[in-house]
Amino acid sequence: MLDTLGTSLKDAVKKLAGKTVIDRAAVDELVRDLQRALLSADVNVKLVMQLSKAIKERALDEEPPKGMGAREHVLRIVYQELVNLMGMPGTVALGPQTILLAGLQGSGKTTTAAKLARSFQRKGLRVGVICADTFRPGAYDQLKTLCDRIGVPCFGDPDEPDALVIVREGLPQFRKAYEVIIIDTQGRHALEEHLIEEIININEISHADHRWLVIDAALGQQASEQARRFHEAIGIDGVLVTKMDGTAKGGGALSAVAETGSGIVFIGSGETIDDLERFDPDGFISRLLGMGDLKALVERAEEAVSAEDIDVNAMLKGKFTLRDMYKQLEALNKMGPLKQIMSMLPLGGMQIPDDAYDITSTKMQRYKVIMDSMTPGELDDPAIIGGSRIQRIARGAGVPPEDVRDLIKYYKIMQRALKGMRGMGGGRFNMQRMMKKFGRTQ
Amino acid sequence: MFDSLKKKLQSIKTKFASNIEEAAGAEPALPAAEQPTEPEPTPLTPAPTSQEPEAPEMVRDKPTFFNKVKVLVRDREVLLKEKDIEEPLFELEMVLLESDVALPVTDEIIARMQRDLVGRHKKIGSSIDDLVTSTLRSALCGVLGEGLDLLEYVRESERPVKILFTGVNGTGKTTTVAKVGHYLQENGFSVVIGAGDTFRAGAIEQLRTHADRLGIKVIQHQAGADPSAVLFDAVQYAKAHDIDVVLADTAGRFHNRANLMNQLEKIRRVMKPDLVVYVDEAVAGNDAVIRADEFNRAVGTDAVVLTKADMDRKGGAAISIAHTIGKPILFLGTGQGYEDILPFEPRIVVDELLGDEI
Repeated sequence: MLDTLGTSLKDAVKKLAGKTVIDRAAVDELVRDLQRALLSADVNVKLVMQLSKAIKERALDEEPPKGMGAREHVLRIVYQELVNLMGMPGTVALGPQTILLAGLQGSGKTTTAAKLARSFQRKGLRVGVICADTFRPGAYDQLKTLCDRIGVPCFGDPDEPDALVIVREGLPQFRKAYEVIIIDTQGRHALEEHLIEEIININEISHADHRWLVIDAALGQQASEQARRFHEAIGIDGVLVTKMDGTAKGGGALSAVAETGSGIVFIGSGETIDDLERFDPDGFISRLLGMGDLKALVERAEEAVSAEDIDVNAMLKGKFTLRDMYKQLEALNKMGPLKQIMSMLPLGGMQIPDDAYDITSTKMQRYKVIMDSMTPGELDDPAIIGGSRIQRIARGAGVPPEDVRDLIKYYKIMQRALKGMRGMGGGRFNMQRMMKKFGRTQ
Repeated sequence: MFDSLKKKLQSIKTKFASNIEEAAGAEPALPAAEQPTEPEPTPLTPAPTSQEPEAPEMVRDKPTFFNKVKVLVRDREVLLKEKDIEEPLFELEMVLLESDVALPVTDEIIARMQRDLVGRHKKIGSSIDDLVTSTLRSALCGVLGEGLDLLEYVRESERPVKILFTGVNGTGKTTTVAKVGHYLQENGFSVVIGAGDTFRAGAIEQLRTHADRLGIKVIQHQAGADPSAVLFDAVQYAKAHDIDVVLADTAGRFHNRANLMNQLEKIRRVMKPDLVVYVDEAVAGNDAVIRADEFNRAVGTDAVVLTKADMDRKGGAAISIAHTIGKPILFLGTGQGYEDILPFEPRIVVDELLGDEI
C-alpha cells in the first residue's frame, strides 16, 4: 500500500540529501521529482502545481532556523506542505451519531458500511445499518450478509423502490435501539441530477451528523470534480478511501480532501470486514518520506494483541526463531497481513522480498500444526533440524516431509529479511533523530 | 465522454499552429525573395554555399541554423526547432495529465509528437493546421489501436463463444455482463451467464435479478463455490442447448493477490474462454495502467471494456489502458440502463477529438 508513491518520493528526497549546498538547481530537481511522484499518484494536477510552487518559494526564500542545516530545512518544508495538502484527519466521535455514506458506483460503500459497523462495534457501541440502496440488485443481500456475519442489525427492503421511504421508516426504529446508525446509499455520480437530488433529500430527512464520501483509491483526476459536486449537494465532512490494498496510491482522495475542506477519516485496506484503519496524516507523510507510521501500528496492536504476542523489537534485533514465527502467525489473523504490519515499521527504503509475504491462510494453519510437532529445542534453534527430525515432525503432524521443508524455507526467507532490517540499524537511528527534529520544529 | 479533452486539444492545436507560424513567420517574405539573402533577423555568419547534391527524401534535418537557412531558401520551407514547440508541448502534457492519461503514456505521446515535429520541413504555404493535426492524429491512433466488433467476432467464431470478464473490485463487471448479454440478445444471439462471482456477498443475487429482467438463463452454484466449476457448467449448458454465447462473470480481485490471480488462471484453464475481457472504469487514474498490465500478464486480455464513461468527460483512462496492453477497447459503459453500452471505434473517437471546433 502506498509504497510506490513512497519510493519515488523517497528517491527525490534522497537526491537532495546527497547535496551539500541547497542551491536552486537542487531544489528544482527535488520539486520536479516530487511533481512526478504526486502526479503518478493521481493527485490533482493543479494541487501539485500549487504545492511545488509553494515548496520552491519557501525553500529558496526562507532562512533556515538557527541550528538547522539547509538540507533539513528543505525537507521540513516539503513535509509541512505535504501535511497541509493532506488536511487534518477527519474527526470520529465515539458516541451516538448518524453517518450517511455517499459515493460513486463501485467505490465500495456497502463493504465500507459493514466495516464501519464492525469498527464502532469493536469500540463497544451499539450499531445499526440502513440499506438505502434501492437500485442495485443484490445490494440489500450483500449488506445483510455482511451484517449478519458480525451480528449487526440491517434495515432494508429489497422490494421498496423509494430510498426515502426506507430511511424514514428505519431511522426512528433504529434511533431508539442503537447509538451509531450507518446509512448506505446507492452509487451515483455528480452528473446524475435526480440521484443527487435523492441524496440531498436523504440527507435532509435523516439529519445525518456526518456525511462521508467514499472514494476509490484508484480514482484519478475526476476526484476533484466529483467531490466538489457532492460537497455542494450535501456538505461532505469526511472522506473514506477504499481499496488501498491494491497498487493505487489514493492521490484522488487528496484532491477530494482539498475540494471539500474535510479530512480523511478511515482507510479501507482489504476484503475482510476488519480491514479498516484510522487515518493519520502525520503518519501518512512519515511513511511517504520513509519514516514508519509507528502510531498506526501501535493503535492496531493494542486492539488486537497483547504485548508479548509479538515482540517487534526482538525481531528487529535479529533474534528470530521459529517460536517468534509461530507467534507471528498466530497474531497475523488478528493484526492483518504481515505486509501491512511491515509497511508501518520504520524501515526506510528497505525492500522485503515479495515471496516473504506470499503465504496463504491455509498454509499458515498447516505451518502452525507442523510447529506443534516440534520440540522446544527445535523451535529455539531451527538449525538442528536435519533429515531424520524432518521425518519425525512430518509423521507427528501428519503432513508430507516436503511441507516441513517448505516451512523451514519460509522461515529462512523471513529470517533473511529481518537480518537485512537489522543492517539498517544506523539508518533507523537517523530516522528517529529526524522524527524528533520534526517534532521539535513544528 | 471526451468532450472536455476535445475542447482542450482544440486550443492546444491552435497554440501549436501559432507557435509554428511564428517560427515560420520570422520571415514573412512571401513575395519573391528568391535570392540567398539572410532571411533571419539575427544572422550568424550565414554560409549559403556548399550545395551537396541534395537528398530530397531525407525529410529530417538537424534544425541547425545552416540547415534552416538552406531549407528556407531552397525549398521555401521552415525547419521546426525544439524551442518552437516547447511551450505547446508542455501544455499538451498538462492537458493529458489532467485527463487522467497516465504519466508514462503521456510521456510517450509527448515524445512522439516531438520526434515527429522537430526537424520536420514545412512548406511555407502549406497549412500548419494539417501538419499539427496529422501528427496528433497519428500519435493518438497509434495509442488507441484498432477496435473490435463483437458481433462480427461472434458471427465468425465457433459456438458457443466463451467470454470471460476480469477486473479489480468495483469496476462494474456484473453490470457489464448484464449489458453485454442484453446487447447480444438484441442482435439476435442466445446467451447464458455463468455466475462466477461466488465470493462477494449479494453478487449472485445481483446477477440473477439482472438476468431475470432480461430473460437470460443464469448458471449458478452457492456462494463460496469454486468459480471454475460454475463456469465449466455454464459452458456445458451452452453446448447442450446450442447457445451462442457464454458470458462468465468473476469476482473482483486485486492484481497483487497471488492466490486470487491463480484462481483466475485456473478458471481460464478450465473454461478455455475465446475472449478474455478486462473491465476497468474510465475514471481510474494512474493505477489503471499498472493493473491492466498485471491482469494482462497473469491471464491475458483480448479486449477491454471501460465502464462509468458517463462520469468522466475526458476519457484519459481509455488512452492509458489501450496503450499499455495494446488491446482493443470493445465497449464503453455509459450509464445504469441495460442499453447504456457503446461499441468503441477508435478512429471515430480520434476524429471527434481532433474534429472542427464544437
